[in-house]
Amino acid sequence: MENNKKVLVIDDDAQIRRVVELKLRKQGYHVVIAMNGEEGLQMIESEQPDAVVTDVMMPKLDGESLCKQTNHLKKQRPFLTIVMTNRISPEDRHWVKEMQDTHLMEKPFSPTRLLGCIDEYFRRSGS
Amino acid sequence: MRRMDQLHGFLSSLASLTPLNFQIWDTNGLVYASDNGAMASNLKQHQAFSAHVINQATYQCHVHDGAPLLFGMPITYGHEVIGSLIASGSIARSADRSEDGLQAQTCDARKMKPFLTHLAGLAGETWANRKEIEEVAEELSLSFEDLSLYARISNHMRSLQFSGEMLKALVEELQETLRVDLAFIELPDRGEYNAIVTGRELQDRASDQQAFAHNLIQSIPEEAPSLEQDYFIVNDSRTMPGYRELDPEPYRFLAVKVAHNSTFDGWLGLVSFKLEEHFRQSELRLLQSMAKQISVLLANVDLYHDLEEFVINMVKSLVFAIEAKDVYTRGHSERVNRYAMLTAERLQLDEAEKNVLNWASILHDIGKIGIPESILNKPARLNDEEFNVIKGHPKKGHKILEPIEQLASCLPSILHHHERYDGKGYPQGLKGEEIPFLARIIAVADTFDAITSNRAYRSATAAEKALAIVDEVAGTQLDPVVVEAFKEVYETTLKAEFDTSHDA
Repeated sequence: MENNKKVLVIDDDAQIRRVVELKLRKQGYHVVIAMNGEEGLQMIESEQPDAVVTDVMMPKLDGESLCKQTNHLKKQRPFLTIVMTNRISPEDRHWVKEMQDTHLMEKPFSPTRLLGCIDEYFRRSGS
Repeated sequence: MRRMDQLHGFLSSLASLTPLNFQIWDTNGLVYASDNGAMASNLKQHQAFSAHVINQATYQCHVHDGAPLLFGMPITYGHEVIGSLIASGSIARSADRSEDGLQAQTCDARKMKPFLTHLAGLAGETWANRKEIEEVAEELSLSFEDLSLYARISNHMRSLQFSGEMLKALVEELQETLRVDLAFIELPDRGEYNAIVTGRELQDRASDQQAFAHNLIQSIPEEAPSLEQDYFIVNDSRTMPGYRELDPEPYRFLAVKVAHNSTFDGWLGLVSFKLEEHFRQSELRLLQSMAKQISVLLANVDLYHDLEEFVINMVKSLVFAIEAKDVYTRGHSERVNRYAMLTAERLQLDEAEKNVLNWASILHDIGKIGIPESILNKPARLNDEEFNVIKGHPKKGHKILEPIEQLASCLPSILHHHERYDGKGYPQGLKGEEIPFLARIIAVADTFDAITSNRAYRSATAAEKALAIVDEVAGTQLDPVVVEAFKEVYETTLKAEFDTSHDA
């Protein structure tokens, strides 16, 4: 099962990276990894991923800033962003609503649901 | 076979440095070829050779005069042959067309066996490592699923009031996340909470799931040793008498007792028709922990009901105590309660408000308990002093109930049920919207019952007259909006009762 979609996983937690990577690989996604927000920011530009899975609380650059700094890129080249957070607060909902193609997911997350959400995005965007 | 990027890279480099080409096959087909299919013309031959290597499970060498040379080594994982490493050589070319050519070939071929042994060993090890990492990650992923399920379930338990819907939602989460075909909760003494959820594939099956679930529980042998830990498991229904017969298709079944201290409530159960998977230890623990939480919830529900029952009876005794003193008002509190609740229904009050009104209306005259019987039951007209004592009853009621924290929300409605809409009532002379809305509802119900409970008025025509009086004081004594609602209640519900029971 190969597909040509590239997913960038940004998380400082190695276990989460490993689980998400495995799930996505199994489904045929090409997975690239970043360990913090700053690295993630660079890789969004250099790797041009089709989807980004990012944590909110991260060293160097947090998920919210990362999303806000990369949102303008989506006008030219849309991509999905899934933001994972420990507890979804009304503030989170508020800023996420302002972002294009961005969804919140509460931790502890279900890997199956995460995958479902990504699959769904590509099915809908018809690619 | 899984991806082995490093090994593939290594083989590609090796192929470019030597006259050898490499292929890795697994039982399904070609996994890797160092020359990217340049050997495609020979693919069929190679495939047959690979199958031969896998089949024989030993080193194979295919040397043909003039034909390309093929060397094959099985790749093993544990004791199982999972694929083959094939080397094809243009060794003859490297040795030129000299007389020593054949010598060179056989010489190299001899060296080939230990070389391929090491290489296949490396491939097997890489494979084993990969597999191990994937298994660990898979296990981790399942723990994530469990954790996520657990978090969602505790959210349900926190955010919702206990109800059948809540249990249904829990069972749905279980079915979906654990990917079983059937999940259910069966509580024999609380059938209203029973819930059963089936996966998509099972919905087409004609059999009665309810009966199936019930039979599964019924068939649990009483002396099963695992029951000491409150669970029962059937890994394959075909091996289990009593379960074999319940469904023609083999299935596995796990049930956990919902029990708290010595109270047994019922069972939480899972069924799957996928026998290639097993119930995991973590699933059992999750189910046990959920069952425990549910049993605690059920115990709380019972406690709450007991307590509620106790309070209701207590209040009824209190009300009975006042009404025993006051011959004119026997049954008055219950009627006012009923009229007020019907009016609340008409006014579409929410559940919380109705709950407050329910208590407030039944308790509104509780303050009369402190009024001497001589005044309460005085047949003649009361003098000013006596009337002032009577007027003290809302305040007295407020004071009597004040220490009961749970009734705090009822107090304003009790204190103000004798206020008048025009501000001429008591005790505080509040006006219009200043009077708590529930107190205005009680006032209407109270006024109507005060008139109709007089013997002379208990006929249909008298009830009509009472209604006319209530209507007349709408806007002065009573809230017109509430009166309007009450008139509708009278027309739809109360009128018929007066017609049949009191028209002499």
